[in-house]
Amino acid sequence: MRNTWIFYRKEMLEMLRGYKLLWIPVVFMILGIMQPISAYYMPEILKMSGDVPPGLLESYTLPGAAEVMAKSLGQYGVIGLLVLALSAMNSFAGEREGGTAELVLARPLTPLAAASAKWLAQLTLLVLSLGLGAAGAGYYITLLIGPLPWSAAVSASALYGLWLMCAVSLTLLFSACLRAPAAAFLSLAAAGGLALLHTLLPRPLRWSPAALPKLSAEALLRQEYTSYAWVFPVLSGIALIVLCFLGASLLFDRNKLPRF
Amino acid sequence: MKTMDLSLLWPLFALQGLLAVIGLISLARARSVRGPKWVWAIIILLGNLLGSLAYFTIGRKE
Amino acid sequence: MPPLLQVSGLYKVFHGQSSVDGISFDMEQGRCVALLGPNGAGKTTTLRMLAGLMNPSRGRILFEGNPIGDNYRRQIGYLPQAPAFYNWMTGEEYILLASRLSGMGGKAAAGHAAAVLERMGLQDAARRRIGGYSGGMKQRLGLAQALVHSPRLLLLDEPVSALDPIGRREMMELLRDIGKETSVIFSTHVLHDAEEVCDDIIMMNKGRIAEHGTLTSLRAKYNRPVIILRVEEAEEARLWLETLQTRSFILESRLEADGSLLLKVDDIASARSVILREAAERAIPLLRFEAGTLSLEDVFMEAVGG
Repeated sequence: MRNTWIFYRKEMLEMLRGYKLLWIPVVFMILGIMQPISAYYMPEILKMSGDVPPGLLESYTLPGAAEVMAKSLGQYGVIGLLVLALSAMNSFAGEREGGTAELVLARPLTPLAAASAKWLAQLTLLVLSLGLGAAGAGYYITLLIGPLPWSAAVSASALYGLWLMCAVSLTLLFSACLRAPAAAFLSLAAAGGLALLHTLLPRPLRWSPAALPKLSAEALLRQEYTSYAWVFPVLSGIALIVLCFLGASLLFDRNKLPRF
Repeated sequence: MKTMDLSLLWPLFALQGLLAVIGLISLARARSVRGPKWVWAIIILLGNLLGSLAYFTIGRKE
Repeated sequence: MPPLLQVSGLYKVFHGQSSVDGISFDMEQGRCVALLGPNGAGKTTTLRMLAGLMNPSRGRILFEGNPIGDNYRRQIGYLPQAPAFYNWMTGEEYILLASRLSGMGGKAAAGHAAAVLERMGLQDAARRRIGGYSGGMKQRLGLAQALVHSPRLLLLDEPVSALDPIGRREMMELLRDIGKETSVIFSTHVLHDAEEVCDDIIMMNKGRIAEHGTLTSLRAKYNRPVIILRVEEAEEARLWLETLQTRSFILESRLEADGSLLLKVDDIASARSVILREAAERAIPLLRFEAGTLSLEDVFMEAVGG
């Protein structure tokens, strides 16, 4: 426990000195507030871009607050995911290939404690980035569009965050046994593949973590929950994260030295 | 027609500017980056969000 | 009381090839042991197993009679061949992290860190980023992190081989002092370094222990009298040298790179008189005649069968 905390502080200091703790939240905030601003100014943006078919501007109606919030969160599905995966890919791989793991793991720091610290650090980064981004989006939506159901917005963000954490966990798992670029590529491919599979076969995969982004949007659009559709995706998402975490500690234990 | 209200937009520009500043500070303090530094400086300054993103994700060596 | 370290029947197999092929030795508290051997002898693998970073394929390591575990990790200091640090940290921050991870409290850690950094001559660089350190400074920082928690056993893998002559000198002096205070196992492929720092030597070759003993006992064991001869270029002299090699008192002969002939003999007195008399009778143009004992370098070559 104690060493997890010590190593967590090292991870956070590393994120701060590597500017990750600054630029990733800023990117999330930009992505979050860009959506309501562009929805609000859409007619002006279209007009400035030149040829607009007649009738399009007249027929444009400002989307509802909940809808824009759902779209804001949807922004994190591609660029947000990419940014998080690229920032997590070095977590284990960098320490192994760079040789720093050999020194710290010769101390009483167990691979399990090191992995816990790394997970907590990535979770902190994700909560900070997504929290600031969603708050910025929410603020602009209430300002420009209309009142936003806050509790729905919070649960929608949490559901989306869980999906992002699943992707980050996959990156960390692959980082514990592969080189960094391979880890980022494989985890993005896995998350993307799962998401694609879910859009193709939504019914058989409705229990999977890939259903979380859709559930997140539904939490905002259909404000009255009648079903408990979120139970299985949330549980399977948590199970995926736990499995990745245990797998990564085991793999890090076996792969703590650089490969020649 | 609505006019573009600058008081609404400046936080967005401020964040973009902040991102570029973080990028430039990181670039200036980095021992080495992938490719020449001045190219990255131009990309950060002119490339908006995507320019800074490209620098942070591709340009930096860890 | 059991010895500090007992290693028995240690094997490590990689992809069907054994890198460490059944080594056993005991080490008493306070000794300094040099693990000497050519590259690829299995020294690094042995040290990594001793540091608990690799599990042996077979065999056992006991520390004061107990299997190695988390408590053992607190008591060892480990310096790998090319130590890598977090380059974004300062030297001081790294040493603090290291001592905290090894279980020291905040205050004790700060005190020990400052002391060990000063001892390594890093007090001025302590607040600078490690990324800007020279190779010699990194090696001294490596030694500092291995020492900061006052370990009872130090494991050092080739601590001087990557350094320039000045860095090497500094490091050797530090090692000589440390060897007097703590139990140390350090690996090297340079015999001279082993001799300078340690009292016990384990010679390794191809994953096995070729020879193990104190410096003096090894010298005594391989105390072979040798005669080194060198003659001027002359047909007659060359022929004579060839006939010499077949004499009964010569155990072994070897032509050195510089053209001199090294003869291992059983009885130095009679060999000397025979050789000198014959050389005088035949008017052999001798350039060099030296009677002595085998150098430790030769002992090493003989022990590893090189």
